[in-house]
Amino acid sequence: MTATGVVIPGAGRARARRGLETVAWYVLLALLAVITVFPFLWMFLTSIKGPQDEIFSVPPQFLPGHPTLDNYTAVLDQLPIPRFFLNSVTVGAAVTVLNVTVAALAAYPLAQLRFFGREAIFYLLLATLIVPAQLTYIPSFVMAVNFFHYYDTIGALILPNLASAFNIFLLRQAFRGVPSELIDAARIDGASELRIWWTILLPIIRPSLAAVAIFTFVTSWNDFLWPSLMLHTRDNMTLPVGLVALQGFFSSDFRSIAAGVTMTVVPILIFFIVFQRHFVRGLAGAVKG
Amino acid sequence: MTRRFTLTPYLFLVPALALVATFVVYPILAVIFYSFTDFDIITPAEWVGTANYERLIGDPTFWKALTNSAVYLVATPTVIALSVLLAIVVNRRLRGIQIFRALYFVPAVSGSIAIGISWRWLFERNGMLNSILISTGILSEPIQWLTDPDYVLPIAMMLTVWAGVGYYAVIFLAGLQNIPEELYDAARIDGCNRFQKHWHVSLPGLRPQIVFVAVISSLAALKVFDEIYVLTNRTGGVLESGTTIVFYLWRQAFVLSNAGYASAIAIALLLMTLVFSIGLVRVLERGSETT
Repeated sequence: MTATGVVIPGAGRARARRGLETVAWYVLLALLAVITVFPFLWMFLTSIKGPQDEIFSVPPQFLPGHPTLDNYTAVLDQLPIPRFFLNSVTVGAAVTVLNVTVAALAAYPLAQLRFFGREAIFYLLLATLIVPAQLTYIPSFVMAVNFFHYYDTIGALILPNLASAFNIFLLRQAFRGVPSELIDAARIDGASELRIWWTILLPIIRPSLAAVAIFTFVTSWNDFLWPSLMLHTRDNMTLPVGLVALQGFFSSDFRSIAAGVTMTVVPILIFFIVFQRHFVRGLAGAVKG
Repeated sequence: MTRRFTLTPYLFLVPALALVATFVVYPILAVIFYSFTDFDIITPAEWVGTANYERLIGDPTFWKALTNSAVYLVATPTVIALSVLLAIVVNRRLRGIQIFRALYFVPAVSGSIAIGISWRWLFERNGMLNSILISTGILSEPIQWLTDPDYVLPIAMMLTVWAGVGYYAVIFLAGLQNIPEELYDAARIDGCNRFQKHWHVSLPGLRPQIVFVAVISSLAALKVFDEIYVLTNRTGGVLESGTTIVFYLWRQAFVLSNAGYASAIAIALLLMTLVFSIGLVRVLERGSETT
């Protein structure tokens, strides 16, 4: 915000004040960062504390006097964390690829084609946004056991999560931004709708696809209630379900629980750091009226 | 442009519609049916008429859960106010601002279970919070935060707000950056100070984002589960102090094997969500007519 063309009297003093103001902003930003990160930092510091280090003292001891990785090995000895991790990655990747494909397919005609029932279908899909997923868990449970036979497998976490009205809605917005002349030109050249979708439209809306994909992945990665109903055998668990199992297993051994939590949070944080730009762009693009 | 009838659009929609039919539409119909039955998920459902609904009306835990879920909606205006403020704070060119923005987003990606466990240990009887409060002399005796019926729900709501602020702030930040700079200049010329300019320019400019966040965050608040599950160690809290409608549904269906009764709770949840959504849309539409 620069006041162009305006001469300010006493510019030196103004600059000093602005410098002070900048410092104040940094103090505020740092304070907010502490509030945000503190629980994780505390978790991490606890996870590397040795048995001689206090974790419940008054006043609290922040830094470990005898840092150790023993808590991590204790957790890895008892619970198959790499296995949880692999399951979470498998579910997340499968759900993301398939869900985004299904959504992109559905979004195209809703955005760019005219056909009988378009509005009705769109509003039906939109209405499902309101329905809380937990409402469907009893029948979904029955289907999982009696019909799909995927109880206690990760398939139970994939199939029911392949249609997202939210993703269809977001991608529809993206497709609507594509000029229809482009599509008409391709049609005159004789391209089929599927070919137009794949070779022309998908590349254009790639930023939206990336954003939707990342959000789908994170949602799947953190999903808990349905996976906790479906997964029973330890080797089939995803990270959040395994984390709850871990909490039960180590009940009062907070150092080990902290090590387990740290091991589950770090991968998704790395994922976030790598894809940060897409997160922001995706969220920003979500609301454009 | 008039086009002859083709099947193509429908073919594109088939996968999505088949999935929605199987995993949303059919389950809703099935839940309606189950709500009139005695059902434990394993053995076939037995028709009992309106018995489950009669039981629901006389069930104090159900009313408690309904109240708690309604109270939980307070998280929505709180999270909106704080995330708009945060967006205004981070919407300035400072060196390293990207790093701060990223840090504020961390809770949004970390997952409610990991967050819940971290918070649970902060609020333990001999946890960090009591330790700080006692060593600074604010408290003389530790407070049993998570077993005191007065604190469970507020702590869960704080957790929800804390985890949501950074996430929603990104939406508001994008909105702020779309507001033309000239509007702020005009406000300044009209004599607005830096607070007034946000009141008169930023807030109206953020209207679509506020509507969006109001809808998604309140729908999320109505179905809160994970936070309660972890913070109360699957109990719902002393005297059901943390039991929300989804938590109660889960317990009846999957802990107590009363899936028929739980289905009646699910229908109550659906009605509550519908009424709330319609009401919200009405209010927001009325608001947009005046602007």
